[in-house]
Amino acid sequence: MLTLEGISKSFPGVRALAGVNLEVGLGEIHGLLGENGAGKSTLIKIIAGALAPDEGDMIFAGAPARWSSPREAKLAGVHVVYQEFALFPQLSVAENVFLGSERRNRFGLIDHARTRREAGALLARLGVSLDVSATVASLSVADQQMVEIARAMTRNVRLLILDEPTAVIAGREVALLFERLRRLREDGVSVLFISHRLDEVFALCDRVTVLKDGRHVGTHETGDVTRSRLISMMVGRDLGDLFPPRREVARMREPVLRTERVAIGDRVQDISIELYAGEIVALAGMVGAGRTELALGLFGAMPLAKGAIHIDGARFTSMSPAKAIRLGMGLVTEDRKSQGLALLLDVAANITGPALAEVTRRGLVDRELEAAIAAREIERYRIGCRGPATAVATMSGGNQQKVIVARWARICRTVLILDEPTRGIDVGAKAEIYRIMRELAAAGVAILMITSELTEVIGMADRVIVMREGRITGEMPGSAATEEAIMHLATSERAA
Amino acid sequence: MSGSAEFARPVGASWQARALLGRYGIALVLPALLGLGGVLSPAFISAGNLSNLLLQFAPLAIVAIGQSFVMIVRGLDLSVASMMATAAVVATSFSGADRDVPGIFAVTAVVAIAVGLLNGFLVTKRRVSPFLATLATMILLQGLRFAYTQGAPSGNVPPLLRVLGSAKLYGIPYNALVLLGLAVVLGIVLHRSAFGRRIFIVGGNPVTGRLFGIRSDLVTIACYLISSALAAVAGLILSGYVGLVDNWVGQGYELDSIVACVVGRVSLSGGRGSILGALTGAAVIVVIANEVLLLGVPIQAQMIIKGVVIVAAAALYSSRETSSG
Amino acid sequence: MTAALAIRAAVPWWLRSNAALAGVIVLIGIVYGIGASVSDRFLTLANLLNVIEQTTDLALVSIGQTLTVLAGGIDLSVGSLISLASCLTSGLINGNPDRVVPVVIAVLLLGTLVGLVNAGLVVTLRVHPLIVTLGMGAILQGVTLLYALGPVGRVPRGFSFLAYGRIAGLPVGATLAVTLCMLIALLLRYLPLGRQVYALGDDANSARLVGLRRGRILMLVHGCSGFCCAATGLYLAARFGVGQPYTGVNYTLASITPVVLGGTVLSGGRGGVVGTLFGAFLMSLLNNLLNFMDVSKHYQLVAQALIIILAVSIYVERRRME
Repeated sequence: MLTLEGISKSFPGVRALAGVNLEVGLGEIHGLLGENGAGKSTLIKIIAGALAPDEGDMIFAGAPARWSSPREAKLAGVHVVYQEFALFPQLSVAENVFLGSERRNRFGLIDHARTRREAGALLARLGVSLDVSATVASLSVADQQMVEIARAMTRNVRLLILDEPTAVIAGREVALLFERLRRLREDGVSVLFISHRLDEVFALCDRVTVLKDGRHVGTHETGDVTRSRLISMMVGRDLGDLFPPRREVARMREPVLRTERVAIGDRVQDISIELYAGEIVALAGMVGAGRTELALGLFGAMPLAKGAIHIDGARFTSMSPAKAIRLGMGLVTEDRKSQGLALLLDVAANITGPALAEVTRRGLVDRELEAAIAAREIERYRIGCRGPATAVATMSGGNQQKVIVARWARICRTVLILDEPTRGIDVGAKAEIYRIMRELAAAGVAILMITSELTEVIGMADRVIVMREGRITGEMPGSAATEEAIMHLATSERAA
Repeated sequence: MSGSAEFARPVGASWQARALLGRYGIALVLPALLGLGGVLSPAFISAGNLSNLLLQFAPLAIVAIGQSFVMIVRGLDLSVASMMATAAVVATSFSGADRDVPGIFAVTAVVAIAVGLLNGFLVTKRRVSPFLATLATMILLQGLRFAYTQGAPSGNVPPLLRVLGSAKLYGIPYNALVLLGLAVVLGIVLHRSAFGRRIFIVGGNPVTGRLFGIRSDLVTIACYLISSALAAVAGLILSGYVGLVDNWVGQGYELDSIVACVVGRVSLSGGRGSILGALTGAAVIVVIANEVLLLGVPIQAQMIIKGVVIVAAAALYSSRETSSG
Repeated sequence: MTAALAIRAAVPWWLRSNAALAGVIVLIGIVYGIGASVSDRFLTLANLLNVIEQTTDLALVSIGQTLTVLAGGIDLSVGSLISLASCLTSGLINGNPDRVVPVVIAVLLLGTLVGLVNAGLVVTLRVHPLIVTLGMGAILQGVTLLYALGPVGRVPRGFSFLAYGRIAGLPVGATLAVTLCMLIALLLRYLPLGRQVYALGDDANSARLVGLRRGRILMLVHGCSGFCCAATGLYLAARFGVGQPYTGVNYTLASITPVVLGGTVLSGGRGGVVGTLFGAFLMSLLNNLLNFMDVSKHYQLVAQALIIILAVSIYVERRRME
């Protein structure tokens, strides 16, 4: 169906792709694996018509393909579901599905009734029942993804590209997604499935291609290759243990942080947890369980509707980020670009960030001191950049995340909350961040790690707390954690 | 590159040229304009004309500095012209003697603080779009001003203000000295102080600012206060320059100051800009206006040229800006 | 769940898509309430028709402005375009009744064309509509002054029917304005490009990813805005009997208020022209009330500002993060 040969693409200063070959057959589900920066995003954009390659040929459905716009690619049957959805929050579900390919009556005008009807039918085929007149903003993330996929099905789709679709869904929804994709495969649709979750690639894909540093490393049948082989193909080295060794933590008597039946926003109903110094606690659960809201609430970025927070014994019924920082807390947010970074500033400013007072002398910023501090952190965490004055917007996701973690690691004394800290970053940076977390824990900081990656939970956590629909459904020591047990508590059904 | 689907810009030759021009162009434009002025008319380079140029430049530059603070923090201040006019009305509301000057300053300060707080409050606590909030304030001030003067302002500007507004010290206008002082102080504040750093952080991304523990609301309100205060100063200076009183002192300055900032590479979307940029932008506008005047170009052409300059400048910088909508 | 669905299905689409409309109607009700206590004449039909007549010019220009705002932009060239239109109308007709029809058509076409140029510049130069229309406004004002430095031409007596006439008891101008509003509302609802206006205003990035043609959408909204400005210019020429080069100056910023009052969000993606119509009516009604209360004209400005502040404090702009 799709053949890429010798595709190369460069941007100023960066060679994104070099001579990449890819072949996706008719009615095949093909997985695309690679570290961050391996070139997956660039490749997708080229296939989808958003970028033109510098060199190389692309053949789609037997004909040479040189798209000059995404629209052309769409017309030919290539559809992409991006990781950040291209949805319109204030428009209805039905409208979102058919935007660009509106259902018309014989006068060429929009037939709203038909739009609603057909949208409902498409979603029903996906196994979803939604109010198609509802605004997309009111839907859960998983439902929004279904709307995206339904949209891809409105035109004759021959190649469906999914960019990290399981980053925002889990459990039952993933199973449903896979079922639907398999059904599409039977209909003769080809699927290009980009993911960093090896388990899913093995479960779903017929073949898998690995990219590394813009080059094609290899393509294998999923039945013929092992996990560790794939990892070594992606990373170029046998990573062995990704996770630093666990240490025995002598539990203090008093918790560093304790919540007293807190309720936050719409999602967090009633949470009472305790965090002790030196331990890493994983907070597991499905998207929408309220974990992020809890994190924001603990840090003071969202107000407490009910309850109180105790830090080092002091009780607070309201919190603000400034207060939280003074109390020695830190928060690594879920979305680094839109929340975690001052994108327009440099590394030094992002590292000192909340600790600006530290480098302020008589009201003025001591840039030299700031640069020195930043240089120290750059070295300590092996942050890949040219120096403290590098603009963070030009850095890779993994390095950006290191900057953020370094920023908080410097000043955290009590609690560090990390929300999906390793999402979308390369394996090397992941290992580094895990190491930082262990170091901080060893220094006495309590760590709360929100994550959807169960391997991470099992690899890092001293203790696991599971949330569902705004409440705690269970707790277990890290050593006793299994995927099944966690999923059971997270969804109250047996994992698929 | 975590799946963010930003489109890379085509890197053709014309785009590279534009990027270069956008970056360094502004540094060349001003000298080029000045050179052009000299070529077009000998009257341009005369000391008299240049110091007149400075006289016209100062009020706009002062307002542009204030506007840049607001724009960097992702806002807009449409009320500055109205604030200027109000300051001018206050200046003429007293007896017209020098002993009233402290009183004039006091009243103007109170009004400026009130306006700045109102603007800031509406934008931060009520989440009103800055365009709308400052528009409302502009109309509010206008109404109050008209009601107070009954549409027919009268009175005299105290001699001290007249000196400040139109006299010169060894050929350098006093108002330019005021501008210099303000520019230096505010330049340090914006580019070197912790407060200035916070402005850039909040303007670049208010959410990040909050998570850094910065009181984003206070920072924003402070910027609107600065803008109103500077507009008030400019209004007093301009009233001294104009001499007689007018309900419309400073008319057009709100849009002109925005244009000056845009030309000076202060970004409408926030987080980017500089005092120097605002000053350069204001200078470009004033120099063009002056040259056009010297050439005897009729007002129609002046307006057309102004329009073209606005669009051209913005187009030049657009390789950096994210044009929304 | 089904009860909510049933209620929602019962509400007509033009009301449903504009929840803030209810707010304006409430405000109108409040003004009427106050007016009733001030004077009996306030409630009369004659007064109502009078107010409707007074609203026509603001309504016309605000309808066009609504479109540009819905798409996530704004049009600051409206004032100058209105001035140009009114001058060209009275200047070209110059009292000659035979010229009325061709000039009207030409002016409307010109307005639309200017709008298309605005859209073109926004797309090709990649500049924010605020800046482009700001610049265009200056250019247009200059062009207007090139044509006429003062009042120019005149309009034949029959033409003022547009401003002062009545059809079946209803003011002609206002009827045309309402008709235009309805047409545009239908356009926004039933034309694919119309729905895409909302999409573009809602999330420009998604619009790009989905492959929506931003250029076409902008041409639609700016073209309509230009058309409405031309219509406003025609109306003003009819009302004053003559075109004046600075007649449109105040309309630029004044056209924003009805848009916002009517529930359209300045960031785009939500709202509609019907709300704007009510918003314009509210402004006129307010002025009318203040006249009845014998409030000085100057305080009317204050009242205007206060009502903007009040209205936007109540409406919640779409919240971004958090």
